[in-house]
Amino acid sequence: MFGAMPTRLVLATLLCASLVACTRRPGCVGEYCGTLVFASVGEPEALLPPVAQSAVARDVSDQIFLKLADLGSTTNTIGDEDFTPLLAERWEWAGPLTLVFHLNPRARWQDGEPVTAGDVVFTYDAYNDPRVNSPFRTGVRWISAVTSRDSLTAVFRFRRRYPEMFYDAVYHMRILPGHLLRNVPRDQWQSAAFGRAPVGDGPYRFVAWKAGESLELAADSTCFLGRPHIRRLIWRFTPDLQVAVSQLIAGEADALEVLVAPEDLRRVQATPHLATYPYKGSAYGFLDFNLTAPGDSTRPHPVFGDRDVRRALTMAIDRERLAKSVLGEHAVVPPGPMSELWWIWDPSIRQLPYDTIQAARLLTARGWIDSSGDGVRERNGTELAFRLLVPTTSAVRRQYARLLQEELRRVGVDVQIDEVEFSVFSQRAQAGRFDALLQVWNTDPTPSSGIAQTWTTEGIGRSNFGRYANATFDGLVEQASSSFDRPQARRTWRSAMEVINQDAPGVFLFALENVAAVHRRVTNVTIRPDSWWALVRTWRIPPDGLIERDHVER
Amino acid sequence: MGLWLVRRVAASAAIVGAVVTLTFLLLHLAPGQPFLPGAETPIDPAVVAELRREFGLDRPLTVQYAKYLVALAHGQLGESFALHRPVAEALEDAIPNTLVLTGAALALDLLLGLVLGVYQAARARRLPDVALSAATLFVSSVPTFWLGLLLLLVFGEWLHWFPVGGVVDPVLHHSLPWAGRVADRLWHLALPACTLGAVGAAATARYQRAAVLEVIGQDYVRTARAKGLTERRVVLVHALRNALLPLVTLLGLSLPFLLTGAVLVETVFAWPGMGKLAADAIFRRDYPVVLAAAIAASVMVVAGNFVADLLYTVADPRIRVHGE
Amino acid sequence: MNLRATLALLGALALAVYVVAAARRHAARSSARRRFFRHPPAAWGIGILTFFGALAIAAPWVAPYGPSVTLEIVTLQNQAPSLLHLLGTDLYSRDVWSRLVYGSRVSLSIGALAMLVAVTVGAVVGAVAGYVRRWVDTVLMRLVDVGLAIPRIFLLLMAIALWEHLPLSLLVLLIGLTGWFGTSRLVRAEVLTLRERDFVTAARAAGAGPARIVVRHVLPNVAAPIIVSAALGIGNVMLLEAGLSFLGIGVRPPMPSWGNMIAEGAPQLTTAPWSALFPGLAIALVVMALNAVGDALRDALDPRKEAA
Repeated sequence: MFGAMPTRLVLATLLCASLVACTRRPGCVGEYCGTLVFASVGEPEALLPPVAQSAVARDVSDQIFLKLADLGSTTNTIGDEDFTPLLAERWEWAGPLTLVFHLNPRARWQDGEPVTAGDVVFTYDAYNDPRVNSPFRTGVRWISAVTSRDSLTAVFRFRRRYPEMFYDAVYHMRILPGHLLRNVPRDQWQSAAFGRAPVGDGPYRFVAWKAGESLELAADSTCFLGRPHIRRLIWRFTPDLQVAVSQLIAGEADALEVLVAPEDLRRVQATPHLATYPYKGSAYGFLDFNLTAPGDSTRPHPVFGDRDVRRALTMAIDRERLAKSVLGEHAVVPPGPMSELWWIWDPSIRQLPYDTIQAARLLTARGWIDSSGDGVRERNGTELAFRLLVPTTSAVRRQYARLLQEELRRVGVDVQIDEVEFSVFSQRAQAGRFDALLQVWNTDPTPSSGIAQTWTTEGIGRSNFGRYANATFDGLVEQASSSFDRPQARRTWRSAMEVINQDAPGVFLFALENVAAVHRRVTNVTIRPDSWWALVRTWRIPPDGLIERDHVER
Repeated sequence: MGLWLVRRVAASAAIVGAVVTLTFLLLHLAPGQPFLPGAETPIDPAVVAELRREFGLDRPLTVQYAKYLVALAHGQLGESFALHRPVAEALEDAIPNTLVLTGAALALDLLLGLVLGVYQAARARRLPDVALSAATLFVSSVPTFWLGLLLLLVFGEWLHWFPVGGVVDPVLHHSLPWAGRVADRLWHLALPACTLGAVGAAATARYQRAAVLEVIGQDYVRTARAKGLTERRVVLVHALRNALLPLVTLLGLSLPFLLTGAVLVETVFAWPGMGKLAADAIFRRDYPVVLAAAIAASVMVVAGNFVADLLYTVADPRIRVHGE
Repeated sequence: MNLRATLALLGALALAVYVVAAARRHAARSSARRRFFRHPPAAWGIGILTFFGALAIAAPWVAPYGPSVTLEIVTLQNQAPSLLHLLGTDLYSRDVWSRLVYGSRVSLSIGALAMLVAVTVGAVVGAVAGYVRRWVDTVLMRLVDVGLAIPRIFLLLMAIALWEHLPLSLLVLLIGLTGWFGTSRLVRAEVLTLRERDFVTAARAAGAGPARIVVRHVLPNVAAPIIVSAALGIGNVMLLEAGLSFLGIGVRPPMPSWGNMIAEGAPQLTTAPWSALFPGLAIALVVMALNAVGDALRDALDPRKEAA
């Protein structure tokens, strides 16, 4: 075919070409290199803080936007001693209801503009605006006004005195650039272009977001908090947790915040290049009953409007065994709607027992009897049946759904499972178009804002999907949140929890004890239980630990 | 030939037109109309109002149809509910990935199927043929996504020979030289393409075996043998050339199956193509995307068939004279 | 596995062997059957189909547990295959073998029913188009062209997208209604040739109406391609159902179908591969059997073709 000479020439050319192709420039070396890849199961809905509720959106926003001050490692939310300054370099109390923040003059937006008190005022206005409809609105409800005394001084005025005033002032709001968002109509913030290409003031800048694939941030070397050591942060979106764990083990991802399944934890611990970091879980999962009719909140739900039916269903579920089966050793059954992180955690709080006999008796007493013999109870011609809404993105919830279906079938309840995509799930939950759903909340570090948002009448239309309304409970929560006497507050919280346990607006299934996994080459790793990657800017990859992807400069 | 071309193009256009009409009818006449409030769709009232205006839902059906066609002609396929971007954009990003995947699968189908089929025919009824027959029967009967899961498990998880999903490495890709980038893409393409192509290759091998064996028994081959040509030359040159012809039509016909398989394979491997777009859209009740994907798929099938017919006509002089 | 289940399983196996042996014994009787058994896989195919058919019919006896029974959710999760659990347990501590057996009912009946719909519609449309010809033929065949242009799964996705809770019966109907196009072309081709034959002309002269002619004279002679089409069609439907269930839009859990068993088992592929592996294997075996039988039937019923 070809003559001998041209063959050698062809081979030589190929060899040279491949050599050129394979040699690469050394790329980044030294202290400020590194690419950290997060394996993420969900994708953020948007990166505009007031409208973004998902955990992964919060993780990304943590790097791009700053708050006035941040929670310390003790996660103590009472008073102001345990907070670290961020945008505000110092603060003082100018009266029992007035808090004055002095902004750091070196704080800059990533487009060069300085961060001013005007931005703080704008941010409060946005978070409070019903058109934006931020889920964090309840957090700032006790702030009556935010004004600016001058370009670097912001004044917060409160409606009343309570222990967590400082926490409410700084924790919920990420300060937004007024000059970039002022002209965006408030009711369009959900789909605003800014949410897909944000400009912040934090240690990392937004670089790129490939929908469905990955999101990339780059370190901002001019950040006034100090230049982050790790140069690039990449979130890889995976369809489910199993793939994320596989990527982690294969070395294609560096960090995963929650290893839930016991099998996953075992595999990760057997992997030499991964280190595990246990921390107090901030999440609890529960089965939520819709107390009003789906789609019509003026009428009670045909099944769950009845308190005794809810109590019966709660007693029919063996929560301990379910938690062991799905989550292994790394979960406990919470004594109420709370996570392990909260100081009010108390296993001795009275709950409904696991008692299938009493459950069956209660259902029969309320008129639900299996007259047709098909295994499902009826009353006045309607079956004791409901649809359970579950997002496809959560393997844990899907597993729970199946097991709950079986548990409830044994007492004569017919459960159909609706697995829908995450955005559909959120929409239907918010709108109340469901019978029951499985929800997991990543709670704030304190019960006051979280409980109010999810279980009081204030949260109806927001995070109180099931529309549970009990004035006694509201009152107790109110009282407990405003009490300066810790032991007394604890007792009041306990009473509140016992009230809600007896009302059974939901079945509190599990509280996670979390384990995170991070690649061993990363040092100085601290994981804050309430916001896992909040301190990534302090992490380091030592120069001798750099691997291939760390050298990429981009 | 020219007349044939014109008639063929017209027929193809008519088919696409019918598909478009079908999607329009489905959209507007199915129960639970997606653009009306109260339906189980995640849209807020402002968007619904805009959609109603845009689609003219309060006008008579014929007017709506006309508007639909006009919008389609301008490349406007609507806005995706879930992705918050125009459907045309999402398709633009997704279709090249699917084309790459199906192209690679077709190539694998053709090459592997041909080679196997001819080899089997040459060794008919002896041990290699029997073993391969059983193997091809098995592979052509296996669910594609199950095969994909299996390959992912063995080659991705256990052996780490190939990556676990994705088109390119999200971290390193941009920093590689062009050769490295090509290699990265091929490395990610390997498993999905093998999955999608394997089933087709098995079917093609079975078909080719039968076709080649049939041809081998015919007169002109016996003549070639009588003339003293070696068995290999007989098989390769004569029999193959004539058995190759139906392969072209076969490949054209396999396009719909490939696209069906693509939906599942893309989901298993998280390959961001048209199939995965449609599968995700189904979950989210994102109707505009599902319908647009169906139209796009039909266009691809029709185009593929047209090309296949063209090749067949060019290749086989017996057909060229008559029109369709 | 308890005694009853073991006995029932052995019974199913015995039945399969018996049926194949009996079929072979009668094979010498006709040339068609001899041609059928000239294909070695054909005998295996019949055996496998009989076995799974027996499993499906006798499910409550063969399966040691019910399909949704969660045995012991803490200790019996994801157990490897053992004597107690032939194919292991899945994530919800359900016996995989029992679910496979009950799943055979769902998957096989969906295959059979959808194929029945498809073949019936296809045969009728093809016969009408081929016999009546003129504009009816053109219209119908254009419709077939459109149907063949949209890949089947996209057709189904479109239809499923627009209904919120699709009942299973409707799903089966839809699967059938998206699969008749190929059959109609086959039937039409046959009818076109048969139309000119003497017995049809004679019937027409005798005064029989077109419908009668088609049903009583033409269709029986078209039986061969229809039967072959049916055999291969069931396999396609089963694969399609598996795919749809994998995407979450086919058979909804907890009712087991082989497709949704693979879907539920896929996340555990690395740690407990048996819950996804065996249903896939079952599908492959049945479809293989159907393909083998279909190929053999094609040769057996068509004397014009030389066996290769």
